[in-house]
Parts: sequence; C-alpha cells; structure tokens
Amino acid sequence: MSDAFLMRSARFRKEREADWKRLEALITRVEKRGLNSLEFEQARDLATLYRQAMNSLSLAREISLDKSLLFYLESLCARAYLAVYAPQESLRGLMARLFIYGMPGAVRRCAPQILIAFLTLGLGALAGYFLFVEDPTWYNTIMPPELADTRGINSSREDLLSVIYDSERDALAAFTAFASFLFSHNTQIAIFIFSLGVLVCLPSFMLTFYNGLVIGVFVALHIDRGIGYDIAAWLSIHGVTELSAIVIACAGGFTLGLAVLFPGELTRGEALRRSGRDAVKLAILAAIMLVVAAILEGFFRQIVQNPETRLIVGWGIGGLWLAYFLLVGHKRPGTS
Amino acid sequence: MSRKPKQAPRKHPIDRRVISDFLPPEGVPIRFEVASIGARFGAQLLDILLTGLIVLTLFVLLIMSGILSIEITIAISALLFFALRVPYYVVAELLWNGQTLGKRITGLRVISGDGRSLSAYAVTIRNMMKEMEVFVPGVYLLAAPALDGWTQLILLVWVVILLFVPLRSKRNRRLGDIIANTYVVNLPRSVLLPDLARTIAQNKVSSEFTFLPHHLDHYGRYELQTLETLLQVNMNKLDPAARDRHVKTIFKVASTIANRIEFNEVIPEAKTRRFLESFYHTQRAYLENRKLFGDAREDKFHKTDA
Repeated sequence: MSDAFLMRSARFRKEREADWKRLEALITRVEKRGLNSLEFEQARDLATLYRQAMNSLSLAREISLDKSLLFYLESLCARAYLAVYAPQESLRGLMARLFIYGMPGAVRRCAPQILIAFLTLGLGALAGYFLFVEDPTWYNTIMPPELADTRGINSSREDLLSVIYDSERDALAAFTAFASFLFSHNTQIAIFIFSLGVLVCLPSFMLTFYNGLVIGVFVALHIDRGIGYDIAAWLSIHGVTELSAIVIACAGGFTLGLAVLFPGELTRGEALRRSGRDAVKLAILAAIMLVVAAILEGFFRQIVQNPETRLIVGWGIGGLWLAYFLLVGHKRPGTS
Repeated sequence: MSRKPKQAPRKHPIDRRVISDFLPPEGVPIRFEVASIGARFGAQLLDILLTGLIVLTLFVLLIMSGILSIEITIAISALLFFALRVPYYVVAELLWNGQTLGKRITGLRVISGDGRSLSAYAVTIRNMMKEMEVFVPGVYLLAAPALDGWTQLILLVWVVILLFVPLRSKRNRRLGDIIANTYVVNLPRSVLLPDLARTIAQNKVSSEFTFLPHHLDHYGRYELQTLETLLQVNMNKLDPAARDRHVKTIFKVASTIANRIEFNEVIPEAKTRRFLESFYHTQRAYLENRKLFGDAREDKFHKTDA
C-alpha cells in the first residue's frame, strides 16, 4: 500500500527505521568488542548514524506520540552516545601525560600548600625534639608502640646502633619488608592526611604535625645517645623521599580544605571539584613516592651500610625529585 | 503561613530515578535510568569477590607449583591485593568505558555528568573516594570486635553517614560520584515494537468506525500511550488465563472510552478490538496534528478552547 495512507509520524518512522537498525547493530558490536573492532567505514557510519538518530529523536519528540518509537529512540541514542563518547585515550598516553605534565605541574601550582605542609612537619619535629629534651618520658607518650619496636628510652647506645647498622637481613626478608611496608604506618597516614583534608584542613594539619612530633622525639633520643649523625644518615636514605611524600599528600589535603574554606566566587562544590584535579595528582605522586621509599628502605638501607653513602643516596634522590618537579613539563605541545 | 496558589490540576510525578536533562554535545537531551542502590551494591560485591578469587587462585597455584618460597608468595599476593583496590577500578573503568567486571555482569555503567566522555580524572577521583567509602570502613568492620569503644563509635558514625549519602542523594550518588560529577546508570536496552498506526492502516481497520472531532477532544498523550501499551500486548504469548483477563480488560476499556466520548453507535462484541485500534489511530492522528499547531495535550485534564 502507498505511504499516502500513513499518518505523518508513521511515515517518518518508516523512512528511517532501517538506519536505526543499522546503528543498533553497530552499537551492539561496539558494546561487545569495543570501538577498535570496527572497520573504517563502520566507524564513519557510526558517527553519521549517531547524529541522524539524535536528529530523529528530537524530531520524534515533537511530531510523534508513538510510545514504542520514543522509548526505542531514547535508549538507542543513549547507547550510541556511550559508544561514540567512550574514553579514547590509550593508557600509555594517559600515563605519559600524567608523568610529564600532570604531576610536576600540580606540584608547581600547589607550591604554597607544600611549603605550609613542610613547615607543619618541621614545627612538629622541633616541638618533639624540645619536648624530649625537657623530659625524655614524652617519648613513650608520643611514639606509637608498633613503630618503636625495640627502641625505647631505656635502650643503650649499642642497642640503637645495632638496629641502624643491621646487615643480617637477606634479600628475601628485604622483599617481605617492602610488601608489608606498603600497608604499614606511613601509607595509612598519607591516605588519611589526604582524604581528611576535605574537613577544612584541620585533620591533615594535626596528623602531619603529629608525624613531625614522632620524628622529633625519635631523633632526639638518638642525639641524646650521641649518635645523631648515624640516625640522620639512617633516616635520610628513605626518609627524604618518604617524608616528602607525606608532605605532598598533606598539601593535597590542604588544597581540598582550602577550596572548602575559601571558595572565592564559586560554590563550595564547584571549588572542590576544581581543586580536586591538582589534589588527585598530588595524591598519586605521593603514592608513587611511597613505593620508591619502600624500595629504598627494603633494599638499599641494608645494602648500604656506610653513613656517608646513605646520606648521598638519600639526598641525591631527593635532589632528583626536586629537579623533576621544577624542570619537567613546562611546555605543553600545542600551546605557545 | 503563605501558601502557593494551586498549580495545574494534576501533574505526573517526576521520576527521581531518571536523568532526563543529560545533554550530550549534540544538544539533544537524552534519558538515562539511574542504577538502584541494590544493583550497585551487588556490582561492588561481585567485583570484590571476583578479584579476590583471581588473586586467591594465583596464590594457590604459586604455592602448589612450589617455584617460590612461601614468604615471597605471600608478599606477591599482598602486593596484588593492594593493586586490586584503586588501580583495578580505575583501569577497568577507563578501558571498558565506565564498566568493571561487576558492573558488566549487573549491566551498570558510569557516565560523566557533563555530557562529555568519561575523563581519566573523574574515574580516578571517584575510585579514590571508594578507598574511604568502601574499603577502609570494610576492613575496619571486619576488625571491629578487636577495636575499643571510641573507635567503634567513630566507625559506626562514619558508616551511617556513608550509607546516608546515596540514600538521600537525588540520583543515588555516593560521595565519589558527587565530587567526580558522575552518575551510575543502567545500560539501556532497546526494543522496537511494531508501529501500531502502520499495522492498523495496513489492515484498513481505521475506516470501520468514524470518529468526529468532538469524540477526540477528551483524551491526551497519557491516555493515548496507555491505550498503545494495552494494544501492543501480544495475545499469542499469553497463557489462557491471562488471555481471558486481557480480553475482559479490552471490553472494559472499550466501553469506558465509548461512554466518555459519547460514542453512540453499537459496538459488536467481535469488533471491540477493532474499535479500539480504530480509535487509537484516529486519536493519535488528531493529537499529533493538534501538537503541531501548538496545542500539546498532556492528559485528559487539558484545557480545550471550547
């Protein structure tokens, strides 16, 4: 029968139905096997058919009361949208962008927060040191027992030295230490410091300060026994990286907290979303630095027994981090 | 207390489980159905179980093969478990366009709230928040009996807040979704039923009954589409009892419509369905026409000029 007997919306549907079916077949394929499974012509058709379907949808909403058609087009367009606007970037490209531009750029942009975090940690350490000088029993109050292991205020100079220059662990023990480190104290602290920053900076500030306190009393104990140089070397080899990681995690938390405290002309949610971009990069960076610190602690601290070499390795790697933050990724391709 | 003046007589309740203002770059808003909390919980549970199972199998295989010593095997598994948390979800959602294994099975998908494609940043932050929202409370819950009273209390408050956010949120978003501006939706399924207007026109049903304009002024879009749903039911697929019920419904609907529109002709019993089809066809043509002229009739409470 001729189309003339059909009402307008039925004709509209009849003319386009074949294209929609073709689009549906393409989408089904993409959903099952991914966008890469399409031939060149198919990919080109997908884009064209998608735009046509969107057009049909907006037209159908105006001229048709056919419920089955409207529902079908709604779902078809939604699926086509998901197929067409899938994340296109390869994992490698993403990683390259993150390492070359993302993280160093975030560090440079958040330099003030990082400075504040460093000051917080330093203040904590100073406070811890002076507390110990005033009354050594502060050590027991401040130091978490699981961190202190055998080293307490009653340890002699020889006990402490034996921990610092202990070379009896083999590679196996070193690897286990590395794995367990990832779940241990500092990683937890870094996670908490970062994500609690949302609560107007205070928890981040307190945790970082407390971390400083722990370091302060720990160093003070060793200085008291006259082995300040050795403990500095022992801490440096991994501590430079590890404490920087904690400071960076804290700066990430501060970035979030500052957005909540001083959103400027944006709404708080919007400010949080914007500053989140840098904060997340800082958090990823902190995680990577913690892994590096774990490798240093697990392997190199046992292999390298000489305090001078320990200092050189520790601060050398610290210098490399600094060079990475300051020098890498200033120019983006495409921007003049 | 001042009261707002009463608005239009009746409004269809806006469905909170549907995102209807989602705007892709093409500028045509499309609809998505928000995933239920149960489905999301199920997907999360499946993810944890599946990935846990994979690591466990690997662990058992390594131990059975005996290549590596037990300490190293434990260390490797511990590292894998660490990688299973945030990195697994981020990589899976990036590579599979917003789906993890669990979401694939339950038919869910993450979409970006701004109508663009899902960015690596959004995926990362929503899964980093998962660390605080799912894993940390989960791990502490398992260890709850060993904790002291205060920690238990803090944990309880934390879990209650976290449960409260998606329940209160308009579109079942958890904290990570809100910060990353993402939604989790059901993957739409598309079924195209035949066009009733076309089948009716082909069967030449429409000429059997004649409807006049005053017959067609009573109903609107809502009633028309409800009638469509009724007529789209495939009689052959129903079991006998359901078919009886369906036939009775058709009679009832036909007599109700005939009463309401004051259709005075006698409708023979055998032609009841034909009457409805004919009415549907004419009514749809009439309403679509009215809509084109700017008189869109939502339902039977619409205002007519007359």
